[in-house]
Amino acid sequence: MSSLELYPQDEKLPRGEHVAFNLYMITALLLFVVMMLLGLTMRMTQADWTPVQAAMFYKVMTMHGAGMVGTMSLASTAVMWFFLRKYVSLHLWAFMSNYVLFMLGALCIIWAVFVGDFASAWTFLYPLPVHSMGLWSNGAAALFMVGYLLIGVGMLLFYLDAAAAIIHRFGNLGRGLGLQWLFGGEIDPNHPKAVVASTMVIIANSLGILAGAVVLVMCLINAYDPEVALNALVVKNLIYWFGHMIINATIYMGVIAVYELLPRYTGKPYGVSRPFLWSWAASTLFVIIVFPHHLLMDYAEPRWMLVMGQIISYAAGFPVFLVTAYGVLTNIHHSGLRWTMPSMLAVLALFGWAAGIVPAIIDGTIGVNRVMHNTQWVPGHFHFYLLLGVLPMVLTLLYHVVGSRRRAPVNSGTDRAGLLLYVVGGISFCMVFLYAGHMSVARRFSTHLPEWLPYDQAGSIAAMVLILGMLVFATRIIVGLLKAPIDADPAHPAG
Amino acid sequence: MSTAERQRLAPAFAVALFVALLLPPVRAWLESRMSLQMLVQIPLLITVGWLLSAALPPRLGEGIARWNRHGISSLVLASLAGMFWMLPRSLDAAIGEPWMAVAKFASVPLLIGLPLGLGWPHMGFVVRGVFLLELTATFFRLGWLYLVSPIRLCNNYLLDDQQRAGEAMLVIGSLLLAGVAIKLLWGRFDST
Ligand code: HEM
Repeated sequence: MSSLELYPQDEKLPRGEHVAFNLYMITALLLFVVMMLLGLTMRMTQADWTPVQAAMFYKVMTMHGAGMVGTMSLASTAVMWFFLRKYVSLHLWAFMSNYVLFMLGALCIIWAVFVGDFASAWTFLYPLPVHSMGLWSNGAAALFMVGYLLIGVGMLLFYLDAAAAIIHRFGNLGRGLGLQWLFGGEIDPNHPKAVVASTMVIIANSLGILAGAVVLVMCLINAYDPEVALNALVVKNLIYWFGHMIINATIYMGVIAVYELLPRYTGKPYGVSRPFLWSWAASTLFVIIVFPHHLLMDYAEPRWMLVMGQIISYAAGFPVFLVTAYGVLTNIHHSGLRWTMPSMLAVLALFGWAAGIVPAIIDGTIGVNRVMHNTQWVPGHFHFYLLLGVLPMVLTLLYHVVGSRRRAPVNSGTDRAGLLLYVVGGISFCMVFLYAGHMSVARRFSTHLPEWLPYDQAGSIAAMVLILGMLVFATRIIVGLLKAPIDADPAHPAG
Repeated sequence: MSTAERQRLAPAFAVALFVALLLPPVRAWLESRMSLQMLVQIPLLITVGWLLSAALPPRLGEGIARWNRHGISSLVLASLAGMFWMLPRSLDAAIGEPWMAVAKFASVPLLIGLPLGLGWPHMGFVVRGVFLLELTATFFRLGWLYLVSPIRLCNNYLLDDQQRAGEAMLVIGSLLLAGVAIKLLWGRFDST
C-alpha cells in the first residue's frame, strides 16, 4: 500500500530523474497550451470568427489530434514512471529514449503537416493519405507515418524496460496484475496499485504498438508501390486498435496519480481488494477488444465484431471506473480531506472521467451510433474525459510535486482562480460540443451552416476561458518545477 | 537431458540436420513450394547455425562476446542477412543458380543462425523484446504482402503458392504472439 506520508522519501527526484521529469512535463505543458490554441483556432473557424481556409483547418485538425494524443501519452507515461519507479527498478535510459524518440517523431509530424501540408487527420485512414488530390505529396504522408513509428519505438522501449522490472520483482506480468489472487488466496495489501495499472498498460499498449508497426509499414509500402492495394477495412481496424488503445491507456496511466496521492490528502489508507484486481484484469482484456465500436457504421465489418464492440463498450470502461469511483468515494467519506490544489484536481479528474464515460457509452450503442456518429457528440465525449479527466490527473501529480518542494500543498488564490476558469470553461466547452452533436452538427467540418454558428461561438468563448485557466496552471507549474532544488539521491542520503 | 549434455550434442545434431537438408530429395521437396522454402528450409538452416554456436571454442566465444555487447552486433548482422533472404528474388535465384544455392546454405547458418545463437544469451529483456516484436510484425507484414500482391513475386512459384505462404506467415505470427504473451503473463523467468 502506498504510504500516507505526504512527501515520502522514496519519491524524491535525484539529479537525472529530476531533469528527465522536468523535460517531460514542461514539454507536455507547453505542447498542451499550443495544441489548445490550435483547437481554439478550429472552433473559431467553425464560428466564422477567423479567416482560416479549409485546407489550413484540416492541417490544424491533423496537428491538434495527433499532437494532443501524443502529448497526453507523453505526460501520462511520466505519471506512470514517477510512481512505478518506487516499486521496481526502472532504467533512466529507457525513459529518456522514449522522450528523445517522441521529440524526433513530433518533429516529423510537425514537418509533414506544416511544411508538407499533410492533412488527413490523426487517424490517417487509408486511402486518404495517398489520395490527396494534389494537396500534399506521398512524401509528406510517409513522413507523418515515420513520425508515428518513431514515437511507437520509444514507447516500446519504455514498456519493455518496465515489463522487465516488474517481472524481475514479481515473477511475471500475471503476478504484477495480481491474477494469482483472483480466485482466492490472501491478497498482499501492499501490492502496489501502480504496478497493477502499469502492467495493464504495458500489455495493452504493446499490442497496440505491434498493430501500429504492422499497419504503418504496410501503408508506407503502399505509398510507394500502389499496386499493393490494402483492404481499407482491415487497415481501419488496425489503426483503431492501436489508436484507441494508446489514447485509452492514458487514463489508466493517469489514474495512478489518483490512487497514490488521494489517500495522502484524505489520511485514509486505500488498499487493493479482490474486486479491484478483478476489474483491472477484466479491463485489460476488454480494452484490447473494444475498438470495433469505432466501426459500427462499417456495414462490411463482420457482424460478430460489431456486436462485440457494442457489448464490450458497456463492459470495458465500467469495471475499473466503478471500483475506482467506489474506492475514491469511500476514501473521501468521513476523512477530513484537505481541499488543496492536488486533491481538488484528483476529485475533478474522477468526475470528468465519470461524466465523460456516459456519452461515450451512449454512443457505443449501435442504435444511437447510427444517428450520432460523426456528429460533434463524439468530440464532446472524448474532450470531456480528456480535458476534465485525464489532464487533471496529470495536473494532480504536477501540483503535488510543486508542493513537495515547499513541503506544503499548493493552494493559492491564483491557482484556485485558474481551477475555476478551467472547470467552468471546460464543462461549458464540452457541453456545447455535446449539445451541438445532439442537434446533428457534423464533426470535422471546417465551415458550418449559419444555424450552427451560435454553438460554435459559445464553444469558442468557453475554450478561451478554459485556456486562461490552463495558462495559469502551466505558468505556475513550470516556474515551480524549474525553481525546485534537486533532491539528494535517496540511495545516498548523505549526498 | 542436462544442459551440459545438450550443449555437447548440439554440434553433432547441427551437422546431421545440415546433411539431411542437403540430401537431394529433401532439398527438392523443401524447394518445391515457396512456403516450404521460406518457412521450413530457411528456419532449419538457421537452427543449424544456432546449434553450431555451442561448438565454438570458449576462448573464441569470449573474444566475439567482447564485440557483441547485449548481442547487438549479432542482431545487426542477422537482420541484414535475414533481409537479403527475405527477398523473393534471392529465394528464386537460390533455386536456379548453383552459386546462389551455395550462398544460401552457407550464409543462412553462418550469418543468421550462428550470430543469433552467440548473441541470444547476451541479450537483455529489452533487446529480446524488440527482436521478438519486430519478428512478429515482420511475419504479419510479409504475410499480408504475399496475400495481396497482385503479381507473382518468384518465377519458380505460382500465385496460389505465394498466397498460401502468406496465410502461413499470418498463422506463424499469431502463434508467436500468443506464445510470447503466455510466457510473459504466466511463464517463469530465471533472470531478466
Ligand atoms: C482548449 C482545449 C481544446 C479545444 C479548444 C479543442 C478543440 C477541438 C476542435 C474544435 C476539434 C474539432 C471538432 C470537430 O470535429 O468539429 C477538436 C478535435 C479533437 N481534439 Fe480537441 N480541443 C481541445 C483540447 C483537446 C485535448 C486536451 C485533447 C486530447 C488530449 C484533444 C483531442 C482532440 C482530438 C483527438 C480531436 C479529433 C481530431 C479529428 O477529428 O481528427 N483536444 N478539438
